[in-house]
Amino acid sequence: MADITQIIRFDDLASKESPIHNLEGRIKLISTILITVVCVVSQELFIPIVLELFLLILFKIADLSYIDSFKRLLMLLPFGGAIIIFQPFIQPGTIIWRYSWLTVTDVGLNWAILLLARMIVTLTVVILYSSTTPLQEMASSFRKLKMPRDLAMILSIMVRFLFLFVDELAAIRKSQKSRNFNIHAKNISYKWRVKQVGYTVGMMFLKAYEQGERVHKSMVSRGFSDTSEMFNEKKSPEKSDYIFLISIIIIILILEILLFKFSGQLGYIGQNLSIN
Amino acid sequence: MHIPNGFIPITQCIVYYVILIVALYFSVRWARNNLDEKRIPLLAVLAAGIFAIMSMNIPIPFGTSGHMVGGALVAIVFLAPEAAVLVFTIVLLIQALIFGDGGITVLGANVLNMAIIGGFVGLYTFKGLQGIVGKYPAAGVGAWLATVIAALACAVELAIAGTFPITIGIPSMVLYHVFIGIIEAILTVIVLAALDKFRPDLLVWNRGDA
Repeated sequence: MADITQIIRFDDLASKESPIHNLEGRIKLISTILITVVCVVSQELFIPIVLELFLLILFKIADLSYIDSFKRLLMLLPFGGAIIIFQPFIQPGTIIWRYSWLTVTDVGLNWAILLLARMIVTLTVVILYSSTTPLQEMASSFRKLKMPRDLAMILSIMVRFLFLFVDELAAIRKSQKSRNFNIHAKNISYKWRVKQVGYTVGMMFLKAYEQGERVHKSMVSRGFSDTSEMFNEKKSPEKSDYIFLISIIIIILILEILLFKFSGQLGYIGQNLSIN
Repeated sequence: MHIPNGFIPITQCIVYYVILIVALYFSVRWARNNLDEKRIPLLAVLAAGIFAIMSMNIPIPFGTSGHMVGGALVAIVFLAPEAAVLVFTIVLLIQALIFGDGGITVLGANVLNMAIIGGFVGLYTFKGLQGIVGKYPAAGVGAWLATVIAALACAVELAIAGTFPITIGIPSMVLYHVFIGIIEAILTVIVLAALDKFRPDLLVWNRGDA
């Protein structure tokens, strides 16, 4: 699980100015989901590779650090990487390498490469989205895209209070550190360490619940009722937003046509590597 | 247990999304009938709290670490798996779009494992055992089983997707979560005990309508 305290850094990054940052929230969200879906359905490497290059250009336009983004990507890879790394050894196919009982098959290796490509592109697009879109804008985009009222309100309020809990968690960690508490300290009984985490979790849960009640009271005092609707800023996408979205759709269509027409000439990146 | 994008074919992702939509329909209806107008701020701030709780890593044997999920905990506190569905849909949505932790295309599958299966297994194990072994042991077993069954479901989904054979998926994922589940069980019990001590009114089981 990623470190929640990074959310403050992501939001700072997302509040900068650039042509990508300034795109309308819904356009960024739809583009992110579109690229993700196209990548997930890709059975060849061609489209994910070109989309990754396209995303890297967008990183440049958004003035995002390649090194920081790459570090973030590396932090996220282990989650799916553990499953990918086994693929060459467990999928049936023609054996291309053998060491004692360990065998690597062509099908497994190809599938692992495709999964890795899909994962890298879908994580890159998430990093781009979260580095150029503040959380409030994301919540507001879901509202404008007609997310059911209750869910949209929960999301909007949750996003506001996330930062409070990040601060809370940072304060708890700081106070524990000031008392030399180290969750990984092997010279202290494991049971005692887990108990301390339990108390912290209990306190966080209790604070969350009580904060929820206080928020409700403060909302009621400002006129909130069961029929209240959230305020949606009337901001329509501009011409540049439509151009951005249409460009992405056109790029995807061109890539699909190129793949359909020239898959034989594209070599390895035009081959179907999927097993499902 | 967060399945990333690309590991499950899009057709199967759609099936999991349909399950998610049905679960959300019933969960929103449950919230409207049971939580009055307080439900929105309450569930929202709780989701923020759960988000923070999920980011607290705890070392487990074999030199690795795990974190609490909390699906069973939320379901037991409210005595309703629907609460877990609402909280975790939002938490997992943000995790997918901001942290890249779990994919947006597999949101349905991730909610199914951690909230729907986790919540149901945790709650109904608790309900089934509380009269026999007492509240806290029942909650502990419920939370442990919720983690293990959710991991089992995750292994089955990856096997159906053709990504990970069930013969390897079940032993590896389930075995790992057998240990993670112990942490989940201990933390769930500690949190419930703390709530029972400091704010017993928050636990639905103390309200007499359980």
